[in-house]
Amino acid sequence: MPIRKILKDTCILAALMILAVFACSIIWSGLTAEITLVLALFVLALLITVVNFLMDEFLSLSIIVSYIVKYFVFSAMVMLFGFIVGWFFPSNFWMAFIYVGIVLVLAFAVDAFRVQRDIGYINDHIHKEDKAS
Amino acid sequence: MKIVTRQVEGQPLTVTIEYPEYTESVRGLVRRIESLDVSFSASADGKQMRISISDVYYLEKVDRKLFLYTKGDVYRIDAPMPEVERITEDSDLVRISRTCIMNTSHLTEIRQLKNSHLEATLDNGEKLIVSRKYLRDIKRRF
Repeated sequence: MPIRKILKDTCILAALMILAVFACSIIWSGLTAEITLVLALFVLALLITVVNFLMDEFLSLSIIVSYIVKYFVFSAMVMLFGFIVGWFFPSNFWMAFIYVGIVLVLAFAVDAFRVQRDIGYINDHIHKEDKAS
Repeated sequence: MKIVTRQVEGQPLTVTIEYPEYTESVRGLVRRIESLDVSFSASADGKQMRISISDVYYLEKVDRKLFLYTKGDVYRIDAPMPEVERITEDSDLVRISRTCIMNTSHLTEIRQLKNSHLEATLDNGEKLIVSRKYLRDIKRRF
């Protein structure tokens, strides 16, 4: 699907542009607060992606239970990471639940839609092949 | 593309491909046909035999042992799962979970259960649980 590919390529290109620009900025002006924030976000994204991969690989849960488990795991990761890099204080750590919740609700909606669409596609092709034979 | 089939008695199944130029699509076609000729060395009740890929319904890893399931029989295979995946790369066999590889040519339906797990039904009535992670790999086979 071209729209999805364009969006995906846009995100990858944007990430590469950010890393390239910030790499040059680090050389010229050192680590500023903005650069540190963005790099920390990249590190957090990497950690979440790895954990997400391992959970998908080793846990066989239903889609809803899987997202509930991920919600608590990722919230804990964001909170812990946030405390370490100084994003959160004891008074506002609960915000991690909101940030993770928003991202996961969107991911769940996309995932659920994609699963239905892929199932429809596969079953349509099976029925077409059955008719053809 | 023109497809010509003819019966020749007393000869093994022979596929002849005629092409004006050896392109990537011809190479792909050859690879695909070669993948149909893959067979597995399997054992059951102490006997060793070869199982053609078209007879395979699915392969499943149980307690670090790999089992091959045909329409009604079960065999043991002495190859690791990644090796099986490698030799069946261009075939209809596709991984559907961490422990299972399914032959999509025997697939009759995929549906989502009430608990939102995915279930594949094969043409012998057997049902397999499909991991959502591998749904796109199945889709690519069609």
